[in-house]
Amino acid sequence: MDPFRNALKIGLTAALLSFGVLRASADVEPARQNRLPLAVVPGDQIVTDDVGREVKMPAEVNRIVTLAPNLTEIVYALGLADKLVGDTNECNNPPAAKSKPHVGEPQNPSLEAIVALHPDLVLATTAINRVETADALKRLGIAVYTSNGEGQTVLGILDSIQRMADLMAAKAKGADLVAQMRRRLDELHARLEDRPMIHVLFVVWLDPLTTIGQSTFIADALRWAGAESIVLSKQNWPQVSLEQVVRLQPEYLVFAGTHGESRATELTELRARPVWRDLDAVRAGHVVNLSEKAIRPSPGLVDAIEQLAHDMHPEAFTVGSGDRSPRNGKQLALERSKESIPCAR
Amino acid sequence: MSSAGSSTAPQVREAPGATLVRLKVEQASYAHMATDRSAPTFTLGPISFEAEGHELVAILGPNASGKSTLLTLLAGLNKPLSGRIEVDGSEVSQLDLRLRAQRIALVQQESELLFPLRVWEYVLQGRYPYGRRLRFESDQDCLFAGNALAQVGADPLRDRWMDQLSGGEKQRVILARALAQQPSLLLLDEPTQHLDIGGKVELLRRLRRLADDNRYAVMVVTHELDLASEFCDRVVLLHRGRCLRVGTPAEVYERPLLEEVFEAPLQVEMRPNGRPRVILQGS
Amino acid sequence: MRPLTARRVALVCAALGATLFVAVVISLRMGAYPISIPEIVMTLVNRFIGRPNEIPPDFWNVVYEIRLPRIALGILVGASLSTAGAGFQALLRNPLADPYVLGVSSGAALGAIISLAIAPQTAGMIQFAAFAGAGGTIAAVYFLGRRGGHVDTATLLLAGIVAVSFLSAVIMFLMTTLPGREFRGMAFWLMGDLASPPPIRSHWLYLLLVIGVGSIYTTSSDLNLILTGEQEARHLGVNVNRVKIVVYVAASLLTGLAVSVSGAIGYVGLLVPHLMRMMFGSDYRLLIPTSALGGAILIVLADLLARTVVAPTELPVGAMTALVGAPVFIYLMRRRVR
Repeated sequence: MDPFRNALKIGLTAALLSFGVLRASADVEPARQNRLPLAVVPGDQIVTDDVGREVKMPAEVNRIVTLAPNLTEIVYALGLADKLVGDTNECNNPPAAKSKPHVGEPQNPSLEAIVALHPDLVLATTAINRVETADALKRLGIAVYTSNGEGQTVLGILDSIQRMADLMAAKAKGADLVAQMRRRLDELHARLEDRPMIHVLFVVWLDPLTTIGQSTFIADALRWAGAESIVLSKQNWPQVSLEQVVRLQPEYLVFAGTHGESRATELTELRARPVWRDLDAVRAGHVVNLSEKAIRPSPGLVDAIEQLAHDMHPEAFTVGSGDRSPRNGKQLALERSKESIPCAR
Repeated sequence: MSSAGSSTAPQVREAPGATLVRLKVEQASYAHMATDRSAPTFTLGPISFEAEGHELVAILGPNASGKSTLLTLLAGLNKPLSGRIEVDGSEVSQLDLRLRAQRIALVQQESELLFPLRVWEYVLQGRYPYGRRLRFESDQDCLFAGNALAQVGADPLRDRWMDQLSGGEKQRVILARALAQQPSLLLLDEPTQHLDIGGKVELLRRLRRLADDNRYAVMVVTHELDLASEFCDRVVLLHRGRCLRVGTPAEVYERPLLEEVFEAPLQVEMRPNGRPRVILQGS
Repeated sequence: MRPLTARRVALVCAALGATLFVAVVISLRMGAYPISIPEIVMTLVNRFIGRPNEIPPDFWNVVYEIRLPRIALGILVGASLSTAGAGFQALLRNPLADPYVLGVSSGAALGAIISLAIAPQTAGMIQFAAFAGAGGTIAAVYFLGRRGGHVDTATLLLAGIVAVSFLSAVIMFLMTTLPGREFRGMAFWLMGDLASPPPIRSHWLYLLLVIGVGSIYTTSSDLNLILTGEQEARHLGVNVNRVKIVVYVAASLLTGLAVSVSGAIGYVGLLVPHLMRMMFGSDYRLLIPTSALGGAILIVLADLLARTVVAPTELPVGAMTALVGAPVFIYLMRRRVR
């Protein structure tokens, strides 16, 4: 508009420029001792991860970054905690993981934070992480291994754990862990094989009412626990209407830790809700509340399966030694219906 | 589309003292397609008349007589079905858009301005037809715009914002923009519509002065009988798409003719200055 | 009477260009990885004089693979959206118009969803599909918006609104019924995300940007006149229909370009032209370049905030522009009511 304003703007720009430069040079902080070179050298082995991406593995894996809570748990279970140099801010199990350096959220971690940690290997999963993150890390020359989390079976998870253990030079420990988990599962299977499947509704979220699809690992986990989801759906997280639930009358309701840890509070809340309180399962007190940590594709999943089995098939465990008592009380004699209940389509 | 479009003066050079024919309408006719096929199409013409420089001509007629249609033909917005319409010797509907804007300026009721604009910026836009498409105005452009503002007496308004002007002031500014186009033909479409009687007279006086002082022809579409009579050199009388008469007000204002056209009881009185006055008969 | 001169345009653009440069410098400097200005300069210089081996791999990664692409993308997106916004505001004769009102971003989102459903792992698929979706919508809305052979503003606007609601409904439908898919990536894309630069060579994109902005710029005198009324502009010799087509196509392509690579970042296309009008006036011969530069500056700074304000969590840049944009917009609206 007039020369004065022009001059003002140019002057302001120049001032900003000088300020920026001054400020920037004031805190030059070459903490050079932290700067290790990236450890990918020629001649390393190439593996293919669960989604088909080729990963160039360094000779030694000493610095690991995990991008999802279940992967952190697996790393700890394999005894590699001191090699874990970074995880996400949602990694809360075991508690020690909370004090590791964080790289952000699983969906959108900070690439720079990851680079700053100089990882030899970054672990990702299709269950939470985005393809773009893995692509970007690959472009930066960082080895990133993506495991399959969504459409897995429980046995598939075991395989994944074994593969990851091999990757991180913990083959023996991995075999050990997997064998242990397999043993517990087989034992459960043996106890439950004559029992009819309990029909459950697995509630991921109450509003909107969201449950799990048939191809998720949770559905498979339920089967190992002697239960079957009443909802058959190809989607991973289908939404159902309350009407459907009333029509199908599941025998048990399983919650995934959305409302806190206590089963008692869950039941009380449900008893206060219209329609819910009239469900057979609620009237009979057949509500199981799993912590959200329990339903991750990690070693803790077997604990959750066992807990579920104990809650739903208590009579299968009354005989035999070394039983674990179920964490949540309430042993109700279950009235088993002889005919099978039709499932939702 | 547009050629290099440098500033072109009217093609014909004027001998001092002589007036030139600016607008020549020869047997021009037009037909409107009505949207409803069963309704009759509206036809205009054939019409013939001329307008010279320094002339103030009124296109007179009641509503729906075809005045606006004729105006669109004169402005080159529609092509006549038959006949010719020429400004400075060139067929209007064949002219390149920019050349046409250099010859013909049309003043209409203004649409609402969306963003704030100063008066001088608005008037300067009238210089658009001269020069390249993307250009910055030259000193000469500013000169012409300044002259245009002076001619309408709006020079003190120069730095005001357009949306702060009164109705009359805005109209003067719109007129100034049209004058900045340096046209050969100045067209105005019912410019007295929203003015009170004082405003109407002032506008017509100004148009009269513009016509006298400049070499272009001024044509005003109106239905105001008295104003046309008082200020205009000639009148084109339209009725239902036909041109009934062209001539001076004294020649055109005949009582039976006017009564038929305007469908109202009228009386025509000749005044000493040779201009008729129209009086509405009471019942 | 001081008309706009080419000199003034050049001066203002230089000032804004300098501001953009400062913004880029600050943005290069800041981030989760500690790196100082001398180190950045060293990295840049070594690259240009052809000695890439002298650069520590970390610096290379941070400067060239992480920060610079984001900044470059931000400039591209900011300039495209702001110029498109200015163009649409003139085309639709509506100060509230933003680049998405004619459905371009909805079409792009639909393309993105379909590509996520069909080929979620293929690199670059989502951008390509989004651009295709945008292009389809541009064509459809154009043909819907014609009346009697030329572009009618009111009809165009209506066609755009219809397109937006229809496409949104289709997207909702797909998101809830497509089997076994989690559209996690979609959430980020809808908000606007600069972290995923497209796999295409960037200079093609910049070429498109220049062509788009340049095309609109050639009509800037015409737009000034059209803004005082379409009829009036026609009488002054403006080929109004042709101008509308040029602006429509160029602005829509710019929008499609921006949305394809970064999702639908909001408020930029709406606010930046208004801000530039308030600072430099409504003349489109100045407004187009200042909008482009101003938009670039805004996005670069917004992205900087988005990735540093709650580090290491990175907010999507669209969240940042909305957070800042909404209050600014309300303020602008109240000012207009005067």
